[in-house]
Amino acid sequence: MVRWSLFTDQPAALAAAVLALGILLGYLIGKLNKRLLTAVGVSDAVEGTPFERTAQSIGTSTVIIVARLSSWFVYGVAMLTAIHIAELVNAETFWLRVTQFVPQLFIAALVLIVGFVIADKAELVVSERLRGVKLPEVGVLPKVIKYSALYIASLVALGQIGVNTTALNVLLAVYVFGLIFLSGLAFKDFLASGAAGIYLLLNQPYGIGDDVQIGDHQGIVQEVDVFVTHIENEEEEFIVPNSHVLESGIVRIRSQ
Amino acid sequence: MAEPSELFTELLSEVDAILLFSPTGSYYEEVVAESEVPVLVVSDGDDIGAEEFVELPLEFDDVAERIRFGIEGALERGLLKDGDVVTCAVTMFDDDIDTTSRVRVDEDMESGIYDLFSNSRADPSVIRAVLELAIELGKKGQKGKPVGALFAVGDAGKVMNKSRPLSYNPFEKSHVHVGDPIVNVMLKEFSRLDGAFVISDSGKIVSAYRYLEPSAEGVDIPKGLGTRHMAGGAVTRDTNATAVVLSESDGLVRAFKGGELVLELDPEDY
Repeated sequence: MVRWSLFTDQPAALAAAVLALGILLGYLIGKLNKRLLTAVGVSDAVEGTPFERTAQSIGTSTVIIVARLSSWFVYGVAMLTAIHIAELVNAETFWLRVTQFVPQLFIAALVLIVGFVIADKAELVVSERLRGVKLPEVGVLPKVIKYSALYIASLVALGQIGVNTTALNVLLAVYVFGLIFLSGLAFKDFLASGAAGIYLLLNQPYGIGDDVQIGDHQGIVQEVDVFVTHIENEEEEFIVPNSHVLESGIVRIRSQ
Repeated sequence: MAEPSELFTELLSEVDAILLFSPTGSYYEEVVAESEVPVLVVSDGDDIGAEEFVELPLEFDDVAERIRFGIEGALERGLLKDGDVVTCAVTMFDDDIDTTSRVRVDEDMESGIYDLFSNSRADPSVIRAVLELAIELGKKGQKGKPVGALFAVGDAGKVMNKSRPLSYNPFEKSHVHVGDPIVNVMLKEFSRLDGAFVISDSGKIVSAYRYLEPSAEGVDIPKGLGTRHMAGGAVTRDTNATAVVLSESDGLVRAFKGGELVLELDPEDY
């Protein structure tokens, strides 16, 4: 007991011990994180994204950066605790704010990194999907998705460190509303046809080979998919949206 | 002593075009950058963004077949003309291009295989899937015994109108498409059923157990083929469908279009 109190009486020694422990712990956590991230396949998932490529070009990788970040976080906490114990600076309120701010800064940095990687990855995946579409204008879409993801990530990061983001939030709300509104307008007919198509496919009121009349069009059903029905007669093939099929009703014509 | 490259110069000189078969992207770029004559790509998918491109619907193992198909496709598309001399660079052994051959383009080379894929009513991918299915079925048979099968592909509405069911349709209210992984197994089981499979333009299996009853008038198929081939040939004359027939007796896969035999394959070659 005597020895222990002797130890606690020496704040500098205790601080040094805490610091040493913190450095060890930080190092271990960094290693562990690296192993963990590699094991869950993060390095494969981020492969090819510009962020990873930038990281590679400066001799590191996304996994290493994230692992380092966690190490530094622990180092930082250890250092602060050590300084606090050693009572080098004695201003309670200042320390309170710093200890609150450091974890938030850490989370903000993490969010930013994850945001960058997700944005890059989303851009890659979408452009890969669209590669078969030979339309130059379609190249805008991956960029839009990338910057939307980046915008949201930076909003979260800024919110985390307490910057006032109300104006940016309003902008985001307007953007999302516009997106939903416009796509609702644009896909209205698709939705109606899709819903009708599901009914037609499940119940099959008419099938391929039936002679039917839908609206003004009469012919043999050649194909039914989710959105449209193909009806063909001797000269013409009508491609009727399924919503129209339900609206106008179906006349099945029995021959002979 | 002459270098090999000098010995074979006449093989490679004075050609009108180069046909690359399934090249890698970087290889294609290299050839295009250096070449003075047009470079055509023949491969199973346009993933390298080539300007002049012929789609190869089947993995022809036989190099001569592959070259013939590529040239036929290029002829059809107007990329080559009768009398052109082309160099074909193909893969024979490994994954890289290792063989070149000098071919004179001849209109008579046309056998209609390219036409079968590109100008049929059904999607080329559907025809390809059905052919693969027939080849697979021909190779393995059902429980080791050879089976026969008849697929009417495309123009399913008309085909259904010109046929009648032999029994309940096992594909009633189902939405399987050829090329779905489950279909191989399913069709193998159903191949013991009599009658034809009807497949729509987009590859949906509409029905099995169909008795095709087109008029066989004016159908010109080689003598000696059985009723299955006759039905297949006749239905393609009456409708815009393409028929793929697997013969039970000789195990060959044949394709009919417009009432004529356009393709004959031995499943063992693929």
